[in-house]
Amino acid sequence: MLRIKDHSFQNCSGVTRRNFLQIGAPLLGLGLADLLRLDSQAAEAGLATSKKSLIIFWTDGGVSQQDSFDVKPDAPAEYRGMYRPISTTVPGVVLSERLPLQANVMDRLSIVRSVHHENGIHAPSAHWMQTGYFGPTLARNAAQKPSLGSVIARALGSHQPPMPAYVTIPKSESFGYQGAVYLGKAFNPFEVGADPNAADFKVPNLSLPNGLTARSVDSRRALLKTFDTLRRDIDETGVMEGLDTFKQQALEMVAGERMRAAFNLDAEDPKVRDQYGRHRYGQSALLARRLVEAGARCVNINTGNWDHHNDIEKGLDEHLPPLDRAIAALVEDLDGRGLLNDVIVYCAGEFGRTPRMNGHAGRDHWSDCFSVLLAGGGLQGGRIVGASEKWGGGVQERLVTPLDLLATIYQTLGIPLDTHYEDSSGRPTSIVGSGRPIQELL
Amino acid sequence: MIERIAHTHMKSQRTTPRAAVSLCAVVPLCENPPAMNIFDCKHIALGWLLLLNVAMFSSDVMAAEPTGAVVRFSTDVVPILTKLGCDSGGCHGKATGQNGFKLSLFGFEPEVDYDALVTDARGRRLSLTDPDRSLLLLKATSRMPHGGGRRLDESSDDYRILRDWIAQGATAPRDDDPKLVRIELSPREQVLATNSSQPLRVAAFFSDGTSRDVTRQAVYQSNEPNIASVETDGLVKTSSQHGLVSVMARFGEQIATFHAAVPFANDSTKMIAAQKQLDLLEPKLGTSSFDRHLLRQWRRLGVVPSSSADDATFLRRATIDICGSLPTSEEVAEYLADTRLDKRSRLIDRLLERPEYASYFALKWADILQNRGAGYSTSKQREGTTLFAAWIRDSLATNKPYDQFVSELLTASGSQNENPPAIWYRTVRKSPEYVESVSQAFLGVRVQCAQCHHHPTERWSQSDYFGLAAVFSRVGRKGGFADAEVPTDEIIFLKQRGDVLHPRTGAILKPRPLGGAEFSLDLHDDPRNSLARWMTSPDNPFFARTMANRMWAHFLGRGIVHPIDDARSTNPPSNPELLDALAQDFIASGFDVKHLIRVITSSYAYGLESAPHPGNAGDTQTFARFYPRRVTAEVLLDGISQVLDVPTNFPGVTAGTRAIELPDENVAAHFLDVFGRPARMSACECERVDSPALTQALELVNSAEIQRKLTEKTGYAERLAASQKSHVELANEIFLRVQARRPRPDELKAAVDFLAAEPDRAEACCSLLWSLLATNEFLFNH
Repeated sequence: MLRIKDHSFQNCSGVTRRNFLQIGAPLLGLGLADLLRLDSQAAEAGLATSKKSLIIFWTDGGVSQQDSFDVKPDAPAEYRGMYRPISTTVPGVVLSERLPLQANVMDRLSIVRSVHHENGIHAPSAHWMQTGYFGPTLARNAAQKPSLGSVIARALGSHQPPMPAYVTIPKSESFGYQGAVYLGKAFNPFEVGADPNAADFKVPNLSLPNGLTARSVDSRRALLKTFDTLRRDIDETGVMEGLDTFKQQALEMVAGERMRAAFNLDAEDPKVRDQYGRHRYGQSALLARRLVEAGARCVNINTGNWDHHNDIEKGLDEHLPPLDRAIAALVEDLDGRGLLNDVIVYCAGEFGRTPRMNGHAGRDHWSDCFSVLLAGGGLQGGRIVGASEKWGGGVQERLVTPLDLLATIYQTLGIPLDTHYEDSSGRPTSIVGSGRPIQELL
Repeated sequence: MIERIAHTHMKSQRTTPRAAVSLCAVVPLCENPPAMNIFDCKHIALGWLLLLNVAMFSSDVMAAEPTGAVVRFSTDVVPILTKLGCDSGGCHGKATGQNGFKLSLFGFEPEVDYDALVTDARGRRLSLTDPDRSLLLLKATSRMPHGGGRRLDESSDDYRILRDWIAQGATAPRDDDPKLVRIELSPREQVLATNSSQPLRVAAFFSDGTSRDVTRQAVYQSNEPNIASVETDGLVKTSSQHGLVSVMARFGEQIATFHAAVPFANDSTKMIAAQKQLDLLEPKLGTSSFDRHLLRQWRRLGVVPSSSADDATFLRRATIDICGSLPTSEEVAEYLADTRLDKRSRLIDRLLERPEYASYFALKWADILQNRGAGYSTSKQREGTTLFAAWIRDSLATNKPYDQFVSELLTASGSQNENPPAIWYRTVRKSPEYVESVSQAFLGVRVQCAQCHHHPTERWSQSDYFGLAAVFSRVGRKGGFADAEVPTDEIIFLKQRGDVLHPRTGAILKPRPLGGAEFSLDLHDDPRNSLARWMTSPDNPFFARTMANRMWAHFLGRGIVHPIDDARSTNPPSNPELLDALAQDFIASGFDVKHLIRVITSSYAYGLESAPHPGNAGDTQTFARFYPRRVTAEVLLDGISQVLDVPTNFPGVTAGTRAIELPDENVAAHFLDVFGRPARMSACECERVDSPALTQALELVNSAEIQRKLTEKTGYAERLAASQKSHVELANEIFLRVQARRPRPDELKAAVDFLAAEPDRAEACCSLLWSLLATNEFLFNH
């Protein structure tokens, strides 16, 4: 049941636009088939022809900006922190000494140093950064808005089914803010479910449970084909058609070779695997590249936890080097394969950390001004957007909101910024609200 | 088209009745103006022929010509801004405005808009000395860069009106300005052919007795754009689809609705044939008024319903819908062998007495009443959610009258132990939650919009919203365990006072029900009692209808008002007489829920097959066939457990608890989550989604849980494998058990061939069982 609202809103761009981007799938039982039809409509209109994808490094818990992307070498010790600055391939741009590999590819990275929002608690901040909107506070923590990955999955779909459009590695973050909410379950992420660096790395959803053999799957598939004969025209909602598609996709994923091949890291040259680093972040980044090549639109690598209230040096010494290597290797690899302009690499968390160290040699939550990294996808490299105050703290110039970041990403991926989706009350909700793309990076 | 409109407008001072320029030949089927109820005709087929005649309908609208006349801000200027989209939610109407220029959403607050245009930005938006150089006009015509592009043509009437208003000194809205009183839409109802069009006309009536044509200034919206769309000038265009469609027109805060029917039989021959088929059907229908209302609508639209469902299908359907369970093989055999004529109604009676009925509907109500377990320490909250779940279940098991059930809930005070319904107040704790939960759950309306602005498609204003909020302003809470944001085990009591202010005017609002008068109360009266009395009174326009519609939707797969909690004059019921009859009957029964279920399940529509035929293909509104739906998460999981005879082990609850019996939604079960178990964040049943997903298919194809159920030593599959039954016996038994029917010959042969060819009997049983569990026939109630 497709209900397309007639001009319930008019866009502000002055461009005449069809209304097919405004449909509330879950509420109306909109089927996959409908969505595919919509996609083709969208493609006809030239809106969803993007070849681009996104790889996110989500830094769960919040990375200290002053120990990574926004060092303050001239500040007093309690602000400056432990690390020295190092120069990069971009004159005048310095990074923390824990990011030497990223320093080498800085010409292809950009850093936004003036991200700001107004909450200092993990859950609502994680919601804010990943959906663009302030989220629920601790006790009632179900997501209210769809994550950027789900929006991308809904707006663009997979390049090549059965590869899912949206994948999380190893799985979605625990707050549950990487899901689709009112966009519909079809746009929830596919969770890999295992550490790609593990010696016996296998995707649980693609591996057969105990006692089930590939041969059995084949006979089940054949039997299903024989017995699944209920007339399809009895259902006009698209749910049945959608389930049919997904059953086929699931069987193909489980029994077919393509998905297994995409997830097979052993197919990579061991040198490449070493380049990415033999750790969870590195192998996740490599897997993300393989999945994007195989058709995924958004792969979200969950890293951390970065919530270093105590002894931050110990925490960062453990987490920054593998993150440094993973991102640098990914950017270089994508570039080497001619894919860098098609794949955005984005590294962000729910907030940064206090500019001044606390009494436990740690840093606490800080959302007044923190940094994120963007690279690839055709975005400008080597740029620094915005600035924090002298010793950190507030935004010195060029405040950037979470919605601005999403708008930058969506625009780069080719998703029209006036796209609205109906929430569960039927209210058309903008994917970017007041957000505007960061022009300096376009 | 533009020319035609301009023409109409320019000549609008004429007072003579006008003939509509009908692009398509349409005429009302009955000549009983002014109500013109096209649907009450007896001779539809004849009426259909009349459809080919040319319509003339008159309008005695007086038009006030703005030229030279005083241009009034609220009634002349603001509608233009709305029509041009300036004050829409995507542009300057959004809460943050656009580029520093903020208008009220859809122009519902003209005084705000006046300030925005005239006073704000140091008055630079208007140039009184040189109106054409006003920023407003320069931007709108794109003579200056405008993010919204070119919205207005310099030679248009709209431009002239805006310019005249500025030239006249940008007069502010005045108290003695004529107020918009109502609008009228003509025609109001019409039968339309497919691929045809119908112009709408809108007249506005003002407090000074004047009226004028505002067709061009009104905005329009179709509720079923795939049946009929509407253009910005009010021209309705039907597509090749059939059914019922409503088009809303809005001018200022006034709305009016046009109702159209696009018959399935799209020429007179087909219409006559359809009527003949319906004549044959008529004796088969029950004598109940409900079936008569269904039939009348089928006649209206020339739609011929599907055949009756066979007994096995009906048994499975009713058992799922009433008990949230699958029938067992024994029940199927027994039912098929039963030759009594009243076996369907006997079945319904039997099902209503089973404990699963109460459990299953308690699950439904626990969703609506947000008996929410997640969000804080499980050990502290489970006691409360269990108590509330049990109270709901007991209420259903004893068939507590629905008015009493809701009253006990709304007026609950005290602690959770002495009064479990008070637990409703644990999740529902703030003004918006009270208002929206009550409105959606019991009144079937969505008022969310009115929290921030006038509802764009209904009459609700912020006063309505906060008047209802005031009913709950004296709900007090004390005690309870409060290490989390939502304390457990609070005591609910009536506070001495508690004020709700109008967010814009700051006035204190008295408790008032939606669309009703203020309650008269003193200090000792709990406003919630007044609300409950208002709600459950037999003449309440919302309460019984909402429940009747909710239950109809539960059984028939779609509400008569759809979505079920979005009743609006602009979203009318697909069969108003049927909904009225159900509601009246429900009231007359003393709000007897089981009676309501008996009425609905004994309707002719509920007994129909789901398969369409050429006479009703594409029907999704008139219940001319059974609309299938995917079995809900809990019922599906329980069904698989029942078939395979291996229960699900839910953590933290008694072993053997079924999914439909879980105390709250915070019991880990991946299967339930991927198949759409709601998080209970709102009173909307729409939170329980059936949208398909890859994870659902993966759960079926290769989850450890399904594989465990298939291979458990004590389970059904293993028992079958160990039995001495022949392949034919196995295949027959498996079909009956999974699909609640006997296999067709081709199915039996395929199953037997497979069993014979497969050397591993256990594996063969598993594969056969799995393949049937994964069919749409199993996954859907059809």
